[in-house]
Amino acid sequence: MTTAAAAEPQAARAPITLGRWGTPIGLAIALVVGYLLMVIGAGAQGQEQFINALTIGGIYALIALGYTMVYGIIELINFAHGDVFMVGSFVSWWLLTTMGFSGPINDPVVLTVVLVIAFVVSMGVMGVVGVVIERLAYRPLRNAPRLAPLITAIGVSFILQNIIFVGISNSIVPSPQIIPNPLLTIGPIEIRLINLFVIVLAVALMVALHLFISRTSLGRAMRSTAIDREAAQIMGVNINWTIAMTFFIGSALAGAAGVVQGLYFGVTVFNIGFQAGLKAFTAAVLGGIGNTTGAAIGGFVIGFIEVLAAVYGYGRWSEAAVFSTLVLVLIFRPTGILGQQLADRA
Amino acid sequence: MKRTYLAVAGASVAIIVGACSGSSTPSPSGGGGGGGTAVKVGIELPMTGGEAPNGVPTANGVALAIDQIQVPGFTVTINQQDDALNGKHDPNQGAKNLQTLANDSQVLFVVGPYNSNVAQAEIPVSNAAGLMQCSPANTAVGLTKGDAAKALRQTNPDKIAYVRVATTDDNQGAGTADIAYNVASAKKAYVLDDTQTYGKGLADGFTDAYTKFGGTILKRDGVPDSTTDFTSYVTTAKSLTPDVVMYGGVTTSGLGLFRKQMAQQQLATIPFVGGDGIVDGSAATASSFLNIAGDGDMNSYGTVAAIHDIPNPDKFASDYKAKFSSDPGSYSAPAYACTQIFLQALQAVGSGVTDLAQLREAVRAYVADTSHTYDTVLGKVGFDANGDTTQHTISYYQYDSTSKDWKFLKQRDFTAEPVQ
Amino acid sequence: MTAMGARLQTPRAFLDRHQSLSILLGAIAVTLILPVVVLLPPFSGFGTQKDFVFGFADAGVYVLLALGLNVVVGFAGLLDLGYAAFFAIGAYTYAYGASNFTGLFVPFWIMLPVGAFVAAIFGLLLGAPTLRLRGDYLAIVTLGFGEIVPVVFLNAETYTNGTNGITGIAQPSWYGIFGVNGFGFTNPWPYFISIVAIIAIVMMLLYRLQDSRLGRAWVAIREDELAAASMGINTVTTKLLAFSIGASTAGLAGVFFSAKLSSVTPDQFGFTVSFTALAMVVLGGMGNIWGVTAGAFIIYEIQSQGLKQLQGFIDSLGIPAFTLGPITIDLASINFLNYQYLLYGLALVLMMLLRPEGLFPSRRRVRELHEATPDDDAIVTPADDI
Repeated sequence: MTTAAAAEPQAARAPITLGRWGTPIGLAIALVVGYLLMVIGAGAQGQEQFINALTIGGIYALIALGYTMVYGIIELINFAHGDVFMVGSFVSWWLLTTMGFSGPINDPVVLTVVLVIAFVVSMGVMGVVGVVIERLAYRPLRNAPRLAPLITAIGVSFILQNIIFVGISNSIVPSPQIIPNPLLTIGPIEIRLINLFVIVLAVALMVALHLFISRTSLGRAMRSTAIDREAAQIMGVNINWTIAMTFFIGSALAGAAGVVQGLYFGVTVFNIGFQAGLKAFTAAVLGGIGNTTGAAIGGFVIGFIEVLAAVYGYGRWSEAAVFSTLVLVLIFRPTGILGQQLADRA
Repeated sequence: MKRTYLAVAGASVAIIVGACSGSSTPSPSGGGGGGGTAVKVGIELPMTGGEAPNGVPTANGVALAIDQIQVPGFTVTINQQDDALNGKHDPNQGAKNLQTLANDSQVLFVVGPYNSNVAQAEIPVSNAAGLMQCSPANTAVGLTKGDAAKALRQTNPDKIAYVRVATTDDNQGAGTADIAYNVASAKKAYVLDDTQTYGKGLADGFTDAYTKFGGTILKRDGVPDSTTDFTSYVTTAKSLTPDVVMYGGVTTSGLGLFRKQMAQQQLATIPFVGGDGIVDGSAATASSFLNIAGDGDMNSYGTVAAIHDIPNPDKFASDYKAKFSSDPGSYSAPAYACTQIFLQALQAVGSGVTDLAQLREAVRAYVADTSHTYDTVLGKVGFDANGDTTQHTISYYQYDSTSKDWKFLKQRDFTAEPVQ
Repeated sequence: MTAMGARLQTPRAFLDRHQSLSILLGAIAVTLILPVVVLLPPFSGFGTQKDFVFGFADAGVYVLLALGLNVVVGFAGLLDLGYAAFFAIGAYTYAYGASNFTGLFVPFWIMLPVGAFVAAIFGLLLGAPTLRLRGDYLAIVTLGFGEIVPVVFLNAETYTNGTNGITGIAQPSWYGIFGVNGFGFTNPWPYFISIVAIIAIVMMLLYRLQDSRLGRAWVAIREDELAAASMGINTVTTKLLAFSIGASTAGLAGVFFSAKLSSVTPDQFGFTVSFTALAMVVLGGMGNIWGVTAGAFIIYEIQSQGLKQLQGFIDSLGIPAFTLGPITIDLASINFLNYQYLLYGLALVLMMLLRPEGLFPSRRRVRELHEATPDDDAIVTPADDI
């Protein structure tokens, strides 16, 4: 994992040569292009579709962050991550239902308190679940050939799905949507409160993660472990603890995405994990695996592709469009949008 | 060495599978007449995973029928098979199950399958084996009508071994179009489907009939069935300003979620029409369309591919509840009807016959004979030369906010009043 | 090797030198022994011999898939997560060649190599873009293809009949040999014998490949691509050949599958199929042809039979409910069918933790995994008996 700024020394491959402004400018251009595409396709509803894309993109981005963090540090495609997201949505469902809520909470103070509790609990629980999974299923296989932890990850995915399937419900479960639904007008933009909440939350968490990785000592430990595990160990980094913390944070972010799933869609099912995980993983790879900024960007790109497919009447093909984009980007730019060279391997 | 490996492999199989010694399939026993020839009715439905809410109530309908109805001279039990593999209905597994049922000489009749693409894999087998199948739920047109259906009956093209008590999607689609155009007075429609056999067939049926009525299709699109984010489709609906939204699909493909998101975007005033995939319980039933759609329930319409005015609907529901402690599913009654058909056929041909192969063929021939009618919980049922039910009645339902449930509107017999 | 290993050398060495013979013998043994084994208790309690033989024919399809994926993953070390795409292509190829949809009715035995060839072409097409990619990126792209292909088959209605798929596909025929013409739907024996024959031929070919220059090139690429390239191996052609040969085997499996089922629909070729094939290769023993064959068969039988029988087993034990502190456990009331996924997942996890090299690993793989420098956390099991 590195920040966008650290990608500069590899400028020999990266066409972005505008220094530290490269990413923000690229981002701005992408947003404008996306907006124009929406307006062309959907006319008056273009702005609304744009916001739809940003919202679902934010959710994918949150899940993608966990994928990319884990991959960056131990080069494992954690197929169970999507199901961590799913379990997180059930934790939040359980919490809100047990606290007695079933509809929007109009009192802002109560709403804020409940939201904070929901997020803290879900994120905490899923963080712990992630650490436990890592300790039991992945750590023993750290030196095994690449396929072994991959298979294990899918095994864990099956286990998580089945626990929810048997323990809670085998079909769609409605989840309390406690955020009220007024249409806000901010300047020229019309946006619903829930969309605004999701987008702001996603961006805030991503920024917080970015700052954490680049400014704190644990973040530094994560970066160094990702670059060269043995060297980091020699320098005194506690590898097991660092990896465990990586899983904690990644899973916590997935847990946050799970809460958002319940708030935004109002439902959850035991089998949403696989599909969401697959798309989030596509997002992570699209942005450059190991790169958290890239994962965020990738998430938004995937959201845009899905919405654009629906806008232009190709809803049937939205899945194919997402994966085709992935394939094309990887063919022409194998290391993803924010090109990331990982540690040298054969 | 490699031979040793094979031996090890064989031994492992033996040990692992052998550890599970026991009867082959759990068979809920049914009450039968005292003594007599032991025969079985086969059940071929998806029973596990995400499909369990579909298959289990349907199978219960069969069990209830066996319990309640006795055929003198025969003891009837169940041979139950599950066509869900890894939680999803699997056509290959269905075909295998049907071969298993065909190999069991005591099985004279099969109730199932639930899904149309599983039926596609099973019809060649039941046709070759001469084993009559009655589906409570298949609605795809190509299973009985046309050249596609004939191609399915590869071994014996003129022998019918597949009938169904649900009418086909061309009729049901016409029913949804009727609701949209005549009941909801909508002249412009936005049509979606969930890209699966049933949903797409239904939406196609709607489109055909709706244009015949004189309506306009504003836009037609498909939504992958794993979608949870329908916001882009809902916003598209906003821009199209249709008079009605028709969505062919089942609740598990997310239709309830779609309607909920419509309500969230203040579009609940636009009527929503679906097929029997959404008429799956009241707002209190867990995970039903109404339950998930919440505020979107208003202005929702659905159809059921069966007659509404069935004799004694409450009795069936209370009997079911007494035995299984839960409400009947949407296809419990049709499955019950299929079983009744079998038992009535058995009664008609079975007296004095003990040869099982003879019985199987006799049952098949009796049910395939278009002149026979049956008194079932769905009313009087007969089959035409293709194996389709003669009840081409579609019932229309609308959401009623006082009872928070689907309320019957009216029904239309599409043989008597076809769409011109 | 230990003394035990030395003792085992001779028969193994004999069979190593006479691989085709051992395969033939194995095929005959399987054809004769398996149907007899299922007549004995406890197997006889699970179903009739006919049911079992039908199941073996289906298992054979998966054995073929595992063998083909073994070429890509086991021999060449290319992680392919979308293998089901080639399976689908083979199945639809036969559907185009032998059904009312196109009006053609090319005989099954001719369509077998045709299906394999078409799948091989697609193996080239889908493999070509991945050549520059490192291990995990390769996996993701193949995963992407594995998702795209079924969606294309689903939505390209005019060409593929969409979600209803193609039905009325012609059955294979023996044209009067042994009195069998068209295979039909009620007789499992022709299918069983045909698939065993196909598997035997494929295995013989794969052994030839493994020992050829190409096979050694695959090993070289798997171990160290850079070194292999610098020794003069053309990595591009080697990788492409791995993909296309692996794909052609899936094509064979697909042709057989759609012929047996007589219909083909897009929803049968999802990620689950790809993953099952991968699990069979890994659990069976990557790189070891016999190991993969046995592993695939065992796993398929467990998946389709074993878990379903578990319910009957527990029921028959009749264990009464017992209490563990505050928790009462009543085994009879648990519906084990609902726990299928859980048990499958647990089995996968445990297998990987305890024996990551698979049930029947190749000797090379055992050396890789157990003679590696021990790390602080790696589980080092004592060198197993081969």
